[in-house]
Amino acid sequence: MTTVRWRLFADLAEVAGDRETTVTVGDGATVEDALDALLDGRNGLRARVFDDGTLADHVNLLRNGDDASLSESVEEDDELALFPPVSGGASSHHRV
Amino acid sequence: MHVLGAVGPGATALLERVAPRLDGRVATVEAVDGRGPTRREGVDTAYTLGDGGWRAAGGDSSLEAVLDDLSADHDYALLAGFPEATVPTVALGEADAANVVLEAADADEASVDDAVAAAESAEPHVTLSTLVERVKQSPRAERAGAIATFTGRVRAKEEDDDDRTTQLTFEKYEGVAEAKMRTIESELAARDGVEEVAMFHRTGVIEDGEDIVFVVVLAGHRGESFRAVEDGIDRLKDEVPLFKKETTVTEDFWVHDRE
Repeated sequence: MTTVRWRLFADLAEVAGDRETTVTVGDGATVEDALDALLDGRNGLRARVFDDGTLADHVNLLRNGDDASLSESVEEDDELALFPPVSGGASSHHRV
Repeated sequence: MHVLGAVGPGATALLERVAPRLDGRVATVEAVDGRGPTRREGVDTAYTLGDGGWRAAGGDSSLEAVLDDLSADHDYALLAGFPEATVPTVALGEADAANVVLEAADADEASVDDAVAAAESAEPHVTLSTLVERVKQSPRAERAGAIATFTGRVRAKEEDDDDRTTQLTFEKYEGVAEAKMRTIESELAARDGVEEVAMFHRTGVIEDGEDIVFVVVLAGHRGESFRAVEDGIDRLKDEVPLFKKETTVTEDFWVHDRE
């Protein structure tokens, strides 16, 4: 078994009710398996990050600080992170 | 510049013990009640300057303004007697303070190491001047004829009838945000004609009108400096995991939800 840590930020943390949690997946598991384990029982978060059954384009996925793909494998003590688009320059005053 | 406060009986004595243990330039700021040098009528700021050093006296100032000034060329500021400051503070003898990181009965009981560690783990006090002075210290500065800077600040309004933005709150992916900023700095500094790049983004609550982010570029000529400063702030906003929550007079929301 492999235990990895998830970090969530901004409104993703608010929707999930947690900023940090660990999940345990089987040996040889992928980032996608770890994501499924995270979203299991967190339907609000699933609705927030999924778009038509796949991870929405605007959601960032990092593994140990670098961009990650769903198909890569995870290792013990990895840190995975999910977060919305970073702060950018726009403010409410630009909204359409 | 790291900042450490102490309040309560023995605050000054504790900071006198801390100061010699610190590497770098150290400033102390003491709260006093109406004491201090006097100025002549009509004079806002008075200096005496000589071989032995300088003394100064001024009128209205705030702790924030003093820290901003010191941050250009000090590594540490030690504050005695400012309980309302939000800086990491050692509380002696059950004194109260806004951000107590350590409590002790008196100066003898307080751990200097713990106090220094608390100051160093808090967000440093950084201003545009801090970064400008830092790049000027570069060994490559003699090749540089230009410093370009960008300062991002909290804008209260875009249009006259907008709800006023009162504050922004920035959340950061600790560790990863710094690593991404260091990568951007070193990639821009590797360009021909660019000698040094320094950037800093504050986190936590930042009030309307305050500075948020600085990008400073030391370069051979102005053209390279302008391009690098623009690319630096654009990349910081695109790539560094910092999240902005906006508070207006009517609501709170994550800015990325409204784009």
